[in-house]
Amino acid sequence: MSNPLNNSMDLSFPSELGYEVIARDAVSAFARRLGLSAERVEDLKTALSEACINAIEHGNSLRPDLRVFIHCHLEPDRLVIEVIDQGATEFVARDNVLSISEKIAGLGSLRGMGLMLISQLCDESSFVPGPEGNCMRLAFSR
Amino acid sequence: MSDETSQPERPEKVIELRLPSKLGYERVAMDTASSLARRMGFSNDRVDSLKTAISEAVTNAIEHGNQQDAAMKVVVLLTARKDGLVVSVADQGCKPLAQGSTTSSPTIEEAFERDDKGGWGIWLIRELMDEVEFSTAPSGGNQVRMVIHLE
Repeated sequence: MSNPLNNSMDLSFPSELGYEVIARDAVSAFARRLGLSAERVEDLKTALSEACINAIEHGNSLRPDLRVFIHCHLEPDRLVIEVIDQGATEFVARDNVLSISEKIAGLGSLRGMGLMLISQLCDESSFVPGPEGNCMRLAFSR
Repeated sequence: MSDETSQPERPEKVIELRLPSKLGYERVAMDTASSLARRMGFSNDRVDSLKTAISEAVTNAIEHGNQQDAAMKVVVLLTARKDGLVVSVADQGCKPLAQGSTTSSPTIEEAFERDDKGGWGIWLIRELMDEVEFSTAPSGGNQVRMVIHLE
């Protein structure tokens, strides 16, 4: 149990919309096995789908020849998931982003809520430096 | 994160899953494969057959090929084609599979003589999938390639 590799899983898939559903089902099966509650698994499914769609649409610019990589591992009190793209487009944080309630009130496009949703659903979410491409790390406490 | 076992199929749409060799993780492979198969339009019956076959293949890889050493990985490749789904399961092969065991069908009497009442896995896989082929993976481990056709 001491070796973190013993409770880790890797998944990769073509950068094509639709594959995020398969990734979501694979990672939620992994999370259930590691004892995440049903409610947290639902949060994870939404957050992971958003992160995968970002990687496919933005990071990999919808290029089907590129791939998305997911690495999941268990830390003593939390599950950590990294979603890594091949960086056709580098993530740049924007200022003046409308809040979800402002968007729903019609003050802006209903799109572009992914990162906000992710940050609400995870216990920790951030972009971390990766060897190539963008790497978004999501953490869920157990 | 690329792996030599996945190279020949790279131009196709391949999902690659690497799992620790611990019993229970076969469920992750089952759920991933059934998610893909449902999206491809397989009937519930066929999805159930696929889940059983992949569960047997991954359990064999964990228990026998990788001897339940959790640090060793089982690599599952899922390739969606127009006419079906190709599943390949490879272990790191501490224990090569005896050639005879890939073709024989056990009898009830033989199975009951074993402590675990087991030995049905490969027979089941052959019954449930449309094409089954055992080989040695480029990594040196055991590999089983299974195909289930879309009708």
